Amino acid sequence: MARLVAILRALARAFQRGEKSFGSLAGNNFFLVAVLFLGKAGTFLFLIMGLVVLFPLSTDPLRKIPASRLALWPLERREYWLLRAVSPWVNPMTWVIAALALWAAHGSVTVGLWALAAGLFAAGFAISELPLPSGSALWRRVPHFPGPLDQLMRKNLREMLSTLDFYCALLLSLSMSAYRIAGLALPAEAFMAMTVLVVVALSSYAQCLFGLDGAGGLSRYRLLPVRGWQILAAKDAAFLLIVVVLVAPLAPLAGIGAALVALAMGRRSSVEDPRPQTRWRFSAGTSPIYGVVEVMVMASAASAIFFTSALVLAPCVAAWLGSLWWYGRRLEQGMLS
Amino acid sequence: MISCRNLTRRYGDFTAVDNLNLEVSAGGICAFLGPNGAGKSTTVKMLTGLLPPSSGTVQVCGLDAAANPLALKRLIGVLPEDLGLFDDLTVEEHLLLTGAVYGLDRRETHRRTSQLLHALSLEHGRHTFASSCSHGMRKKTSFAMALLPNPRVLLLDEPFEAVDPVTSRIMRDLLQSVARRGVTVFLTSHILSVAEEISTQVVMIRKGKIVWNSPPDELPRSLEAHYFELVESPVVEELEWLGSSPS
Repeated sequence: MARLVAILRALARAFQRGEKSFGSLAGNNFFLVAVLFLGKAGTFLFLIMGLVVLFPLSTDPLRKIPASRLALWPLERREYWLLRAVSPWVNPMTWVIAALALWAAHGSVTVGLWALAAGLFAAGFAISELPLPSGSALWRRVPHFPGPLDQLMRKNLREMLSTLDFYCALLLSLSMSAYRIAGLALPAEAFMAMTVLVVVALSSYAQCLFGLDGAGGLSRYRLLPVRGWQILAAKDAAFLLIVVVLVAPLAPLAGIGAALVALAMGRRSSVEDPRPQTRWRFSAGTSPIYGVVEVMVMASAASAIFFTSALVLAPCVAAWLGSLWWYGRRLEQGMLS
Repeated sequence: MISCRNLTRRYGDFTAVDNLNLEVSAGGICAFLGPNGAGKSTTVKMLTGLLPPSSGTVQVCGLDAAANPLALKRLIGVLPEDLGLFDDLTVEEHLLLTGAVYGLDRRETHRRTSQLLHALSLEHGRHTFASSCSHGMRKKTSFAMALLPNPRVLLLDEPFEAVDPVTSRIMRDLLQSVARRGVTVFLTSHILSVAEEISTQVVMIRKGKIVWNSPPDELPRSLEAHYFELVESPVVEELEWLGSSPS
């Protein structure tokens, strides 16, 4: 037991120091939208399912301990599973979600639903136990791009394809495409709304474009004889390519407008406060408040493009270009510090 | 080719590099030696233009490193402390990226890439992603990236650590060969025997200050003995609990 307490204590200390998991969920734009919409609809079951699956996939305090180190410690099997069960409660977010679930349930949930939620929670952590693929190996063959930054753009594409944000956006896009293919009658506005949701699902990544580059990658950027805006443009190219593919069957121009806004608004945190990210997790943005503002501006831009004129795309492009120029310079200055 | 004048770098109250004066001529191989935390990597960062000095000047290839970082980057090859590799690129893709951003045409980039992969025994792992490479492979990839643009100055932070003996031999031969053709090499290392073998200039640093600077043949005794005397001597402490019965 003393061993377990010592490990949990160290885990709690490490978790407090490098606390990112609250941000991982609270800073994820799609999570914010999911909570707002589902909470309002009072759909407790969906809310709890969403939370219990999202949460373990995005945060797991036990991953703070390197797997090789954990395997070397003289822990008995019973102790390991106890650690597995207790460690999530080191994360304050677990307590918040538990409180939220209790509040939302409000005595209206049957024992069966609680069992289902508990099962999903356990399944989430079981998934978390699986070894994570590096991400890159899955995406050996990605398209080539013209120009000298081809390999950088391919790398950026592989990075994006190893986040859960992409798969969330892909599911949304595929589900709406299925409606379109099946010829089911849906108002045009529905496609616009889903386009916004697709870009929202990807938008947290726009706030942490360098999150998967690691220390070595950031160091290489500093050594490459290229301008700051070129490095950012290579990041944006990968982001925009994915957005264009996913929103093509929905409302493409509105989606591109929203994506340009997401890139422009996410630039400051990407460049000046680069947050390390974890593969096969949801991206962690800066803060819930910033996320809400970003989602509102993105939705406004997409709506304006969709309902008024494609010319609204022009200010979106201007904002994106401005951010590229300004933060390209900031990136070069930051590289020197 | 490399010139430092009163070079100083402070982090708050801590002075990492203190009033460093150093000249390395074209075609020279300068071994920059010192214990961990002595200021070696900080000096390399200032030479590459990645870190502005607190005071003093650095000139590499006649360029002020702090004022012309972009122009300087085009002339130097660097093996950084953390190797500077992207997890999502393969060994070969790293070299192709380097050729492209340094302005080499596609054919020349492929030619040099093939030669470097062969010379450094990286051919079998050319399609391996950096995240899956061993530390030695990663180091060789970063070393190859430093050589590929045919730089005028090579700045290498601990190039021989974690590489196998054969590759270490190949790397030493390559460095001596490029130095004979006028390329200046500035390297840090903890492997004193290698430093003694290939260097034309030995510089020792302790607590940010240079304590020795001469050609290796002017050392009064072996490099190791001199290093232990000037920089730090090994102190073996008796840990009486090691090897006793576990309590």
